[in-house]
Amino acid sequence: MLSILREKAVLTLLVLIALGVGIGAGHNHALDRGSAFVVSDAASLVLRPSATVFHLVGVAANTAVRVARPRRLLLRENADLRREVVRLRRQNAVLTEAAQENERLRTALGLKQSSRIEMVASEVISRAESTWFDTATIDKGSRAGIRKGWAVITPDWRLVGQILDTDAFSSRFVALTDANSAIGAMVQRSRSSGILQGQAGDYLLLSYLPRDADVKAGDVVVSSGMGQVIPKGLVVGRVVKVVRSEVMGSAKALVRPSIRMDQIEQVFVVKSGQGVPR
Amino acid sequence: MRYFWPVVALIAAAGLQGNLPSAVSVFGAKPDVVLVVLVSYALAADPEFGAGLGFVAGLLHGSLVGFSLGSFIVTRTITGFLAGLVTTRLFSENPLVPVLSAVWLTIVCEALFLLFNPRPEIGIAFRKVIGECISNAILTLLVFYMLRSLNTRRKIKLANARI
Repeated sequence: MLSILREKAVLTLLVLIALGVGIGAGHNHALDRGSAFVVSDAASLVLRPSATVFHLVGVAANTAVRVARPRRLLLRENADLRREVVRLRRQNAVLTEAAQENERLRTALGLKQSSRIEMVASEVISRAESTWFDTATIDKGSRAGIRKGWAVITPDWRLVGQILDTDAFSSRFVALTDANSAIGAMVQRSRSSGILQGQAGDYLLLSYLPRDADVKAGDVVVSSGMGQVIPKGLVVGRVVKVVRSEVMGSAKALVRPSIRMDQIEQVFVVKSGQGVPR
Repeated sequence: MRYFWPVVALIAAAGLQGNLPSAVSVFGAKPDVVLVVLVSYALAADPEFGAGLGFVAGLLHGSLVGFSLGSFIVTRTITGFLAGLVTTRLFSENPLVPVLSAVWLTIVCEALFLLFNPRPEIGIAFRKVIGECISNAILTLLVFYMLRSLNTRRKIKLANARI
């Protein structure tokens, strides 16, 4: 046994494992405290050019595929988009009217005005880097003011995840589908609230609902704003199945996320402790 | 200098890893390009070099992901070491060697990783490991022979320069 330990290769292995354990412990400690960890920050800095180059290659390939489409398809898409513009203009007029009415009523009732949401626009440069974690990297970091725990949303207000850690020029966020993710969420229609957890698969689990909670397949699930970290009312997904347990006296709902990680290109990072998005 | 090109390849692999299209996934798992590059280099080297390169691979991949940095470093270091042992004991010209090595090294690496980071759904984890083994095996065959041909060309160039 001792002779094996005397072999240089085995000694190197043991030293590297011990070093790895030490670096891992330091990284976990930094993650818990929300502080920077110089080793992983340096590695991220080294990786950034490579990730950016491959991201740009991907964008160029997508553009080339789009440009190379037949004219017939482009004309059809153009017609669809024109119809969509007309529909959205009409919807915008109705919503502007409703927002103004809402402001008037809030003033009349003396309710607090919702402030403008503070957020940072960013681009996803790398995503789903591991088989076991649903994380992604964006091109803005602590220099842009981003901090751990802030919510990451799509331009159409769908919640994607939460900032895990940041370095000066980039940040990593953990998607809702990751097994380490858990946020407060509620059913938009009935306001039944619970904890939404990632399952390391394609679905999310809304648990800790009362057994007789008013929830059914097709219901929209939104963030509940509990803990003042993630703003309330962001769309998370749609219920596909409800399981009620007589023994536990509780219910669980299987939720399909409103967006898949591979569909995300641009995101907004929303500062914590803000109210309902308007 | 011995580590320079392998580390450059690992950095490129990590950049590619985060930008792989979802179409390349098998049973919900994309190939682990960083692991493939590590195995491909370590298979043609000794255990000490494999462990060192595995350490760098784990550090880069763990930093990219942002979670479980220690688990990434430890599992990749052990995998690199084991891949180096294959060379010492089994190396042959048969293309089955890199393919089968990629399969069992992926299983060892991911089994160790799951030991440190248990998953809630065992079925999904099992399916993902199978998918990753298949895609890693195919990719290792390509990367292993590509690296070997590059290495041979470099050696010929060096020999010609000496002459």
